[in-house]
Amino acid sequence: MNLKEIKEIISLMNENELAEIEIEREGGKIKIKKTMDASSAAVGPPAVAQPYRVETQAAPPAAPAEKASPATSENTKSITSPMVGTFYRSPSPESPPFVDMGQIIEVGQVVCIVEAMKLMNEIKSEFKGKIVQIPVDNAEPVEFGQPLFIIEPV
Amino acid sequence: MFSKVLIANRGEIALRIIRACRELNIQTVAVYSKVDQNSLHVRFADEAVCIGPAQSNESYLNIPAIISAAEITDVEAIHPGYGFLAENPHFAEICESCNITFIGPSAESIRLMGDKVRARETMRKIGVPVTPGGKGVIKDVKEALEIAKKIKYPVIIKAAAGGGGKGMRVCHNDVTLTSSFSMAQKEAEASFGNPHLYIEKYITDPRHIEFQILADKYGNAVHLGERDCSIQRRHQKLIEEAPSPIMDHKLRKRMGDIAVKAVKATNYHGVGTIEFLLDSSGEFYFMEMNTRIQVEHPVTEMVTGIDLIKQQILVAAGEKLRLKQDSIKMNGAAIECRINAEDPAKNFMPSPGKIEELNFPGGFGVRVDTHIYPGYMISPFYDSMVAKLIVFAKTRKDAIRIMQRALDEFYVAPIKTTIPLHAEILEHPVFAEGKATTHFLDKFFKSALEAKT
Repeated sequence: MNLKEIKEIISLMNENELAEIEIEREGGKIKIKKTMDASSAAVGPPAVAQPYRVETQAAPPAAPAEKASPATSENTKSITSPMVGTFYRSPSPESPPFVDMGQIIEVGQVVCIVEAMKLMNEIKSEFKGKIVQIPVDNAEPVEFGQPLFIIEPV
Repeated sequence: MFSKVLIANRGEIALRIIRACRELNIQTVAVYSKVDQNSLHVRFADEAVCIGPAQSNESYLNIPAIISAAEITDVEAIHPGYGFLAENPHFAEICESCNITFIGPSAESIRLMGDKVRARETMRKIGVPVTPGGKGVIKDVKEALEIAKKIKYPVIIKAAAGGGGKGMRVCHNDVTLTSSFSMAQKEAEASFGNPHLYIEKYITDPRHIEFQILADKYGNAVHLGERDCSIQRRHQKLIEEAPSPIMDHKLRKRMGDIAVKAVKATNYHGVGTIEFLLDSSGEFYFMEMNTRIQVEHPVTEMVTGIDLIKQQILVAAGEKLRLKQDSIKMNGAAIECRINAEDPAKNFMPSPGKIEELNFPGGFGVRVDTHIYPGYMISPFYDSMVAKLIVFAKTRKDAIRIMQRALDEFYVAPIKTTIPLHAEILEHPVFAEGKATTHFLDKFFKSALEAKT
């Protein structure tokens, strides 16, 4: 893992408001944690300038790539919620979900419903790719900009 | 009492409301646009929901997003603050239909007072003095000229759907009235979606005196005295104070009683402000009513000792008013300076950006209502007010001295603010003598500019 990759991960963490990420890949394991520096000059409320603490350790060789815990890395895209509401995986409680983990989806394919004020809004994918993560549970409330599906574009 | 409230606003007022809720043991939900994610109101609330991108009409004015946020967080009430949706009757109605209490008056009251022509007529019928003028919407230039002849020039044309100092034209004779009329209609249509105009006698050199009222849902109402907001630039208030330097007990009782009468006669509940113009002969006239909590509410709080936001929430929750008119007293004097991130030297050009250095004033008699902190990024998407500096003392003279001291301590860098301007105004003899009318600031600037050239 080089400095460029580390910088990109930190910037992605910022964008997605993550506090901690641990990634294990062939050749190494890295853990990045956002901390509050007590000696920071900021007088105001917490979390104005947050230094990052980067810990690396040499991993046992040939360790399989672990599924990254709620994070995107450089070759994934997020389908984010365009509105506030409740996330539903299926068109109705009895139906199967629109899409599943590992499924390859097309641009424009309906992936879920976000219900707002009793209106069911179908959310369509802007990307073509494989669903590698679904960070939200069925019937969970979601806010504007919240990641709903992590896609590996093809 | 509500167990959870959503605050449909941002900045200092959102924080103000969260503070009142905390003291009342009410859980709070903040809503925010993407660029406000590091805001204080987001941090201080118990829960926060991102409702949209930076643009106000996609976030803080986005009714479906806000109602949706209210539903997923299961709140019982929404506090709209000031500005944004605070005086939107449609929003108040939607809250009602979703079984969420709108912390404010009824949609009907908001609608009535939002139509400046209807408001004027309603007040006139109740017996509240209104400025001489036409009875309703003016049909055409001919009618405007007839009214002007009767009430005598100068007159002012106003938009029926306007308010807050927008869409007004002063005319001194038939020629300007004729030429202004159709232009004013077009402007009103463009700004407010409604070309209707009304006409009033233009009061020369008035003072802006407003009365704070509070009413419950059971027909009880009180007034909490007046605020003098005569220091305005282009109809935008800069400095407010309570009490008014020229008010006496007799006039206060007369105006206050009329304000309460108007509130009771219109079945109003919640907080509200009735704005009057006071002319040099001591005559006062109804100008408009604001059906929301106002920016300058702190000066009333300081002199009466009453927490207006808490009262607002209590009344909305169905509590009976416990305050009695004769137990409400105005003690001492309070002044508020609205600190804006603007550069007075560059015609008040907005000065957004990151606050690198910040020192708030403090000490006895100083209150700062603000959402800024060191490292905070002032974004260009919203209004430029960054803090309200309020002082309170036993006398007006002492309050002025404290304000001068506090303005001197208030350090913000590198963004530009109106702090130096406030310091200059406070030094001016007209202000010190309590003689400022609504024309003071424009006159003051003119002479300041002349002095520079």
